[in-house]
Amino acid sequence: MEKIISIKNLNYTYPDSKKPAINNLTVDIYKNEWLSIVGKNGSGKSTLTKLIDGLIDADSGTVEIDGQEINEENIWEVRTKIGIVFQNPDHQFVGATVEDDVAFGLENQGMPREQMVKEVDHALELVGMHDFKKRDPQTLSGGQKQRVAIAGVLATKPRIIIMDESTSMLDPEGRRTVLNLIQNLRQQQDLTIISITHDISETELSQRIVVLNDGQIVRDDIPKNIYNIGTNLSKFGLEEPFSDELMSTLRDSLELPEGYLNEEELMKQLWKLRSNM
Amino acid sequence: MEITFEHVTHSYDANSPIANLGLDDVSLKIDDKKFTAIVGQTGSGKSTLVRHINALLKPTSGKLTVGDRIITSETNNKNLKPLRKKVGMVFQFPESQLFEETVEKDIMFGPMNFGFSESEAKDAAHEMIELVGLSKDYLQKSPFDLSGGQMRRVAIAGVLASNPETIILDEPTAGLDPVGRHEIMDLFKNLQSKGRTIILITHNMDDVANYADEMAVMSQGKLVASGLPSDVFNNQELLENDLLTLPQSAQFAQSLAQKYFQFDKLPITIDELSAEIKQQVNGD
Repeated sequence: MEKIISIKNLNYTYPDSKKPAINNLTVDIYKNEWLSIVGKNGSGKSTLTKLIDGLIDADSGTVEIDGQEINEENIWEVRTKIGIVFQNPDHQFVGATVEDDVAFGLENQGMPREQMVKEVDHALELVGMHDFKKRDPQTLSGGQKQRVAIAGVLATKPRIIIMDESTSMLDPEGRRTVLNLIQNLRQQQDLTIISITHDISETELSQRIVVLNDGQIVRDDIPKNIYNIGTNLSKFGLEEPFSDELMSTLRDSLELPEGYLNEEELMKQLWKLRSNM
Repeated sequence: MEITFEHVTHSYDANSPIANLGLDDVSLKIDDKKFTAIVGQTGSGKSTLVRHINALLKPTSGKLTVGDRIITSETNNKNLKPLRKKVGMVFQFPESQLFEETVEKDIMFGPMNFGFSESEAKDAAHEMIELVGLSKDYLQKSPFDLSGGQMRRVAIAGVLASNPETIILDEPTAGLDPVGRHEIMDLFKNLQSKGRTIILITHNMDDVANYADEMAVMSQGKLVASGLPSDVFNNQELLENDLLTLPQSAQFAQSLAQKYFQFDKLPITIDELSAEIKQQVNGD
């Protein structure tokens, strides 16, 4: 597998803070991979995003994007390879209409108008917001705004898309739509996806999960193995899987096997108990 | 405070050809001192609905009664302060509204705006910062040095500091980690037990099942159901039409009922589900 981001011994401490936000962190991210970064509020997730995009400078260590180490000279070029969808869409709007807003990034690139109109239409089509293109973004609900923000990022055709808690505002169906969309785009357009979340249920489509705690990587594994940590996930500020929580309330009167079961496995156990009656 | 919507319709861009209905003939009673959840898909009109309660939006037609205030399309923008003092609103991402140089000043801003003296506002700030789970050390910090979750708490403290009777929360836990989410939800439940009316907009059906006394379901600007969560989550028509998703416990019960198990009514919390399973496995 080919690396697209390589982070080595990265350190960052905010001014006026004693505790490092990122503490000697090393990780490689591969082309076309979907990597989830999970951890509680304050674990360093957003700081890591800012360091990857060069929005803040590391105290020490290096970030390489597509073979180039970020420095003052190449930062603008490197940034064109990365699109970030932030948590709060209201902070990302500049246009008077939805289509103007999506066009903003392309206008900055100096794209000819005719092509731009096509690209904007296409991006809005992809996120299911085409019917809203003449609307004022401020009249949209939070979730609709976020889909427009995602279209804006897609239009600039980045190599890497960072989703910084960007589905946390969507309703369950909107969330599914966006996650499936991101999955399709990753496959069709050879994108690398980094999604940042503390909702473990949003990591199902990713291929690898990195768990951050106090600015350090405490787990780096495939989703199945991370889910198997069960109760201990709450140590890292993550929700205990539902099946695990239910099992702990059943154990006092039902005989269940030791260790973690996912929902399907638990259901099978319960069916067995019930049919043996 | 009791809140009653009577045939309230709200049209955005009313005078333009692209007018669209944010609310479509909504009639709803929200009980005093209850915890009411408002759910519905993105764009269904939840935020539009609650923005009428403190007259940030006014009905295009119909009327609503908030305590002793009546709000219609004719309602004047003057004299809304007493209403807004009684109805505290925590918007989505309230941290984006922080602006003062210290946390203390930020929390004091609301109460002083509503006529508290400086020392009263300061007392309120000192009380509220601990209520939202932060120590008093935070009062002299800049709000912009805090983490997102801490900023959220400061913003909530700012709304609570004016001592509103009714507290409206528009997805207050979006973006908070699970531990933070439970702490904040417990805080609101606790405020309810002290006599406040709580209105919560949320996508999290487990929070509805665990915390709400009543719920209302919105779709395309219309109120499509309201009542006890245990009844609404058992409304087959809503589920078949995808107007509602179920809490995790109800989803699990639904799957479990494929074989051997049977639920007359879907359990909506883990405790209900667990009790049902034990009873059905062990028998009576």
